[in-house]
Formats: sequence, structure tokens, C-alpha cells
Amino acid sequence: MYIVAASTISHQPTFRNPGFSKQITALTPPSTLISPDYNEFIPPLERRRMSDVMKMAIVCSIDCLEQTGLRTPDGIIVGTSMGCPIHTKKFLDKVAETGNGPLAPTSFIVSTHNTIAGQVALLLKNHSYNMTHTHGSLSFEQALTDGLLCIGDGYQNLLVGGADEEESTIYNMRRRIGKDPLHITCGASFFILSGNQSSNAIKLSGVRSYSLVESISHTIRNFLDSQNLSDENMDKVIFISAHEKTGEELKTIFGEEKLIDLLPLTGAWFTNAAFALHFAMDLWNSGENFFNILICKRFNKIIL
Amino acid sequence: MNVYITGIGVISAIGLDAESNIRSLQSGQSGIKQSSLRSFMLAEITLSNEELVHRLNLPEKDYSRTTLLAVHAAKEAWGRNFKDPRIRSGFISSTSVGGMDRTEHYYYESKSDPSVNHYQRMVYDNGSTTEMAAALLGFSGDIYTVSTACSSGANAIMLGARLLQAGSLDRVLTGASEPLALFDIMGFQSLNIYDQHICKPFDENRGGLNLGEGAAYLVLENEQSLSVTGNQPLAILSGWDNASDAFHQTASSPDGTGAYLAMEKALNRARLSAGEISYINAHGTGTGNNDLSESFALKRVFGTSMPPFSSTKGFTGHTLAAAGAIEAVYCVQSIQTQTLWPNLHFSIPMKETGMIPLTGIRSRPVRHVLSNSFGFGGNCSCLIFSKP
Repeated sequence: MYIVAASTISHQPTFRNPGFSKQITALTPPSTLISPDYNEFIPPLERRRMSDVMKMAIVCSIDCLEQTGLRTPDGIIVGTSMGCPIHTKKFLDKVAETGNGPLAPTSFIVSTHNTIAGQVALLLKNHSYNMTHTHGSLSFEQALTDGLLCIGDGYQNLLVGGADEEESTIYNMRRRIGKDPLHITCGASFFILSGNQSSNAIKLSGVRSYSLVESISHTIRNFLDSQNLSDENMDKVIFISAHEKTGEELKTIFGEEKLIDLLPLTGAWFTNAAFALHFAMDLWNSGENFFNILICKRFNKIIL
Repeated sequence: MNVYITGIGVISAIGLDAESNIRSLQSGQSGIKQSSLRSFMLAEITLSNEELVHRLNLPEKDYSRTTLLAVHAAKEAWGRNFKDPRIRSGFISSTSVGGMDRTEHYYYESKSDPSVNHYQRMVYDNGSTTEMAAALLGFSGDIYTVSTACSSGANAIMLGARLLQAGSLDRVLTGASEPLALFDIMGFQSLNIYDQHICKPFDENRGGLNLGEGAAYLVLENEQSLSVTGNQPLAILSGWDNASDAFHQTASSPDGTGAYLAMEKALNRARLSAGEISYINAHGTGTGNNDLSESFALKRVFGTSMPPFSSTKGFTGHTLAAAGAIEAVYCVQSIQTQTLWPNLHFSIPMKETGMIPLTGIRSRPVRHVLSNSFGFGGNCSCLIFSKP
């Protein structure tokens, strides 16, 4: 499977900025979302009703399609941990304020997790496969896994993305991840996955998500084995982790010079593995001579 | 490659396990009643969270009801299965609002008393309700969560089948869980599609849906897994697919384009013609829009030879994400018992279609059953179950 287009909106100058992987440096809190001019992409009336996650997802989707000249994909797959928490909170507030009186349904309508994938399909008049994965910090990885399944099933071109907006009133990432301080940011990255190679495409050999993991080194070796690869085959290891020990463990396996710690550059949001994938693709397309890059993301903390 | 269904588990307002759900379906016993919660018509499970924790023998904790219902139904489906290094097993769960039952509770409580630091409310996202259930069930590794509003359950089952077919896993425990949350009740109320009386799917005078809660899980296995477990297939999952209606965020298109496409694609995958379907468990929520749109889509697929069809939402209420999984269990049970389930509270056919659902229980040969699930975002999914 090949990734033939990528588009990212984040706290870094990633949007329509090839070579960003060479330019960006660690974020200093408080940073803000670097939004493109949404007017170029979304009519003002619709834009006003959209929360950040919708605007980011729609614009990244349009950008990906423009890069490939594709009119519409054969499937739309989105990974999002929280879906649309800004509208969810709005509706919770409305319910509390209104009591038994009449309620405006607007926020409820766009509060479901699959609003993003649904709205992109609506915009593109796309009647194909439409899916939303919401497995916490592994949501994007599972969307990508689904993309691999679709390509295996004969689909040609898929739009796959990861997107999460920032909302900390009804939901707090720090609590979920169990790390403080943590620079919370947000972002969206979308990709066109294809069964066919094209210029600037990178090959995605495999993706797998592991939950409730006990040993990270064991898990990584398992994954590399399943891809018929070993740690020596890896030229770079991009990692995002909120666990102090992850870097140490990766250093033991791969050696320090191969590691790129991306968390300081992205900030924390649940689907930032999608940023990492775009980052890897950008490194390649900036002339770096790599054969294999491993992206490793470790976030979740289960509270039992 | 066949996908075998070897275990089922369900908890709903009409029964705490698969056997008691069948009994209620057979006796026409609805689980929808007027609730003490603002007098809404709801299909509630009588057990409290504390009772569920006790029944499941879990460590004391403030679980989301989503997790508790999931563990209850998943344990029943899993039965005497156990971990085996020769079988790669996974757990898939789906939910629409995840732990919203707890989130809204804590959010409102801390709003009314800002001195209360309810940090707890921060940990009830969809994925965490799945992971907690998985951990309590003893799963690790391949654990997935999908969420596509009211078609979630069907999509979880579909993902399980696809992971088996791709050779990624040999056995999955997959399904959906949904609690009753004020958030959803008020949401559907705000859309003016909440019936203040009992819902009447496919009736000319239908007035909307009633919400319900529940969970259902199924064990799917490939041949390799069957050869190790020795489990007997209850049914084969022979077809599945998904399509997007791409018409409106919440309303279905007048001609049911997405529903039509999903049914056609599922039939193609199962290599079945429309005429081979013995029974359709329709989505049939009881809203004006869904039932009309679904009826037109059914007519487009089945023409004049419409198989017997019914919606079981009059029993369970609309359990949102869980609906597709609960109804998948009812489809397997339809095959097991060679019985078709009735559509409660129907009296007058819609004037636009004249279609009449099954109103009484019926015994007849059941070979292939189609189940429809449609959700917000125009998400349409269909599953086909076949006699082994």
C-alpha cells in the first residue's frame, strides 16, 4: 500500500509547506493552531457552524484530493479519539440551561464521533465505504489498519485521516495519559492511500495497534517480526510517547542516533501519529536517503 | 473463507441473556415503559450499576454503564472459550456515546458545585470504555473501537469479519454497548423524533423512536480457530458491507440511496440474490424519515417479492450503537429457532408504500437473514447471516 498524498493542519507550519520536517522546532507553550485561510475552502455560512475539528478535516481532505487530482475516493476512514467534543459540551450546557423547554438540536446533530467522516462524504457526494475509529490514542492507527484491509479488498484510493480538537472541560487528556505537565495541542492529518505507486509516494509496509501492552520492546519485536524486518533494518525511529521510559527502551533496541522524539514538536493530541506519518513522508521527500522508518506511538494509560 | 458465529450474548430491556431475550420475542413482551426519568418512554435494563458490578463479581469502581453492559453480554458470548496460543484472538467494541452516562453525571455535578473536583469524568471516552471491558475480560493486544452512531454495532461485527478474512486474526469477540444517557434522550427530543407513546415502526401513524439500552457480542471464528476450539457454528456471517447516504447529517435520503447500496453490496459479497433472503430484520426506528426511506430502499432491492420483514425496536427500543449487535444476535436466534420475530404495535400500512411487516411470530424455514443498521452521518451497514 502506498501513501500518495498528505495534508496536515497543526500548531506547526505544516499545511502546504513541503519540507516542514526540516524546519520545525519544539513548540513553546502556549502555542496556537496555525489555520489556513478557511475562506478559500469552505463557504462562510457553513464555516461558522463548524468546530475546529471539522474545518481541519475538511480542508485537509480537499487538499489531499487536489494533490492527486482525484475527484472522490473509494472510501473515507477517520480516526478520532474524541470526535466532536466542542459541540458535545455545547449540547450538555444547552440541556442544563433549558430544563424541560424546547432545545435547538444543532449541537446534538454534529456531536457524534462520525460527524467528521459523514460530513466529508456529504461534501464530496461520496456514497462509498465510510468508517470512524475511536480507540483513544490508537484511533488513527486503527483507521490506517482499516485502510490496509480495504486495499486488500480491492479498493483503489482511500481518504484516511486522524483528527482531534482541543476541549478540556468535559475531558482531560492529562488524566487519561497520566502525565503532567503535557503540552496539549490539536491537529488533523489526512492521506490518500493507494494500491498503486506514484511519484513522491511512500510505501506503508504495515501498521498494527496494541492495547494494554506490558512490554514495549517485546511488542516492537513482534511487530517487526510480523513484517519480516529487524531492528537493524530501521534507518529512523520516530516516536511519540508520554512515558519517560519509552525513549530509554527504544534507545536500547535501536541506538540513540536513530531516534526522533516528536512529542516536543507536535504537542499532545490523541491522533498525532497521523502527524508523525506525514512527518516521515516529508523527510523522505526532502531528499533524505532512508529505506525504513518505524513510527512508534505510546500514550494510553488505562485507569482501572 | 467462511466466518463462523459460535457464541452470542445479549443484555437488553427484554432479557439479561440470550435465552430470556428469545422468550420475550416469542411472547411479544416489549421492554419499553414509561420511565421515572422525565416520564420518557424508555427500554431500561432493570439492574443498577451496583447490581451489575455485583453480578459480574468486579472490583468496586465507578464504571461507565457502557463497560458494565459490555462485560455482561461479552462474558455470555465468550462462554467457555479460553486463551490459546494457537489462536490469535481480538476484542472489538463499538459505542455511540461511550461513557457519556458518567461524563454528564460528573459534568453537571461539578457545574452545580465548582468546589467539587470531579477529575473522574475525564476518563470516559469511547476507547477507554472498550479497554476497561477488554481488561476485565482478560484481553490484550488486538482491541478495537469503532463509532458510527446507530450503525456502530453492525460495523464492529463487519470489522471482525474483515480482520478474520485478511488473516490478521483467527477469532474475535465483537459487538456493541450503549447506556441510556440524558444527552441522547434530549438530543432526539430536540429533533422532534422522540415518540411520547410506544414506538410503532413502519406504521402510518408512527411518531418517532423510543430509546433503549443494552449490549450484545458475538464470537466470530475462522476454520483454523474452529479446529482448535471445537466450537459448533450457530450461523455463518455470509455478507456485510457499508455505504454512505451522503444526503444529510441526520436525515436519510428520500429514496434510501445509502441503504440500497449497502444491501446490494452485502448481497453481492454473500453471492446471494434478493430472492434467497428468508427474513429481514429492518432498522425500523419508528421515525417518519427512517421508515419511509428504508421502505423505498427495500422496495428497490426486493421489488415485488418482499421477504417477511420486521423491526424489533418495539421490544428493545432504539439502543443506538448496540442496535446492530443486538439485532445480529436476534438474526442468529432466528436461524437457530427457525422463527421470524414480530414487529410490535403496527396497525396501518404507510400510504406511500403499503408495506406490511410481520406482526405475529412465525415459524418457517430460515436460511439467510438480512439485518439493516443506519446511523447519523448517512452511515448505512448491512449484515447477512446464513444457516451453517
